[in-house]
Amino acid sequence: MKKLMTIGLIFALAGCSLLMPKKVAAENIGITGSVQSRCTINTDTPGVYGNPNAYTLTTAPASAGQKPIVRVDTTLANAYNAQISYPTSFASSPSLGDTIAWTGAVAVVQTSSSDMSGYQAASTTTGAARTYPLSIAGTTWFEIESQATYGGGQNKAFPGGSYTAHVVAECIAQ
Amino acid sequence: MSTNVLGIPTDEGMDISGVLYNYNVVKNVEDDFVVTVQNKDKEDGYIFQDTEDWSGKHGMRIQKVIPLPYTPIENIGEGSIKTTGTGTVEDATILYMYRWDECRNPQNNENCPGYVPIIPEIPNIDVYDALEDDAVDDATEETDKELYEKEKEEDTENRDKEEEDEDRLELAMAASENALTIANTATQASVLQTMNNATNVNSYYVAQVPGGVYRESISLQGGEVVDNKKAFKSLSQDKLHNTMIREQYQ
Repeated sequence: MKKLMTIGLIFALAGCSLLMPKKVAAENIGITGSVQSRCTINTDTPGVYGNPNAYTLTTAPASAGQKPIVRVDTTLANAYNAQISYPTSFASSPSLGDTIAWTGAVAVVQTSSSDMSGYQAASTTTGAARTYPLSIAGTTWFEIESQATYGGGQNKAFPGGSYTAHVVAECIAQ
Repeated sequence: MSTNVLGIPTDEGMDISGVLYNYNVVKNVEDDFVVTVQNKDKEDGYIFQDTEDWSGKHGMRIQKVIPLPYTPIENIGEGSIKTTGTGTVEDATILYMYRWDECRNPQNNENCPGYVPIIPEIPNIDVYDALEDDAVDDATEETDKELYEKEKEEDTENRDKEEEDEDRLELAMAASENALTIANTATQASVLQTMNNATNVNSYYVAQVPGGVYRESISLQGGEVVDNKKAFKSLSQDKLHNTMIREQYQ
């Protein structure tokens, strides 16, 4: 009987162990992916500053400068804004102790569809940046003008050396 | 579509795969203006037509790429930009994209499979066959030998007789020529004699020398001419003599 009780106790313990909750194992499973932008930006023409006088750098062709041209391609309509900014500082230059007055402009010069002819009129400006809603799939060419005048209105001569400035072009998802 | 238009050879094997065009539209926003870029198909209709409706839009520059299925250049006809409405198209450029399959016609390149070397055309020349010439037949016709010999002898006799006559004639002509020559010579001598007789030489006979006598006016000093012995001695040498003789002929 005692043996039977012992066996019964063993089974009871075994049964209890089956009924008791186990320890839970957890694992993080990663999901990867990438988004191919439907908007790309290319430089069609690099810009060049002309130096018509000692205190001015300009991209105007009349002053031996060259306006940069940026091409924006989008394969998806109404998905991106193109935001183009003319420079407001030099990326590299000799040491400049005085202030520089920056002016510039961005304009659509060519499109791949007549339906894009309203892009310029539909654009908005914020400071040096102009934003174009890309409502048509296709290609748009933007031309940027830039001018820097040194001396804070006193027309001081730029120090001799090499000057570089950047136009910033972005595709920003709407 | 010709080589002049494309600037490249348009032999068989070239396919057009697309067209890139751009132009500038000048118009007022409110005007209607439609521009169509197109290329005719040589057989019928158009290879492509791409239309942009600028009505109610700002005029500006447009650039488009029109992909085409590979189209043999032989099928591509006249290209044009057609406009309707109010506005103008300026600074238009149309570029054709192409591929070149050189071996589509194997004769384009001798390295292409199936190339057949070109054999020059040989002109047809009529060869003269003397055996078929009637004149040659007549000339080579067999003749009667005896008759030929007889004719030959007669010919020889005639030729001898003619030669003999010629000799006689030559002799006769030579005799008469000599007579004429002699007669001419005599006549000339007679004429000369007459001319000489006519010449007046009396003036020479009547001329008188003043004083009547030319006397010797040169006198020799010392009265004797002495030989130059040195010269004589020198000339007596053969060498100098020979030199002087030779100098006469130089």
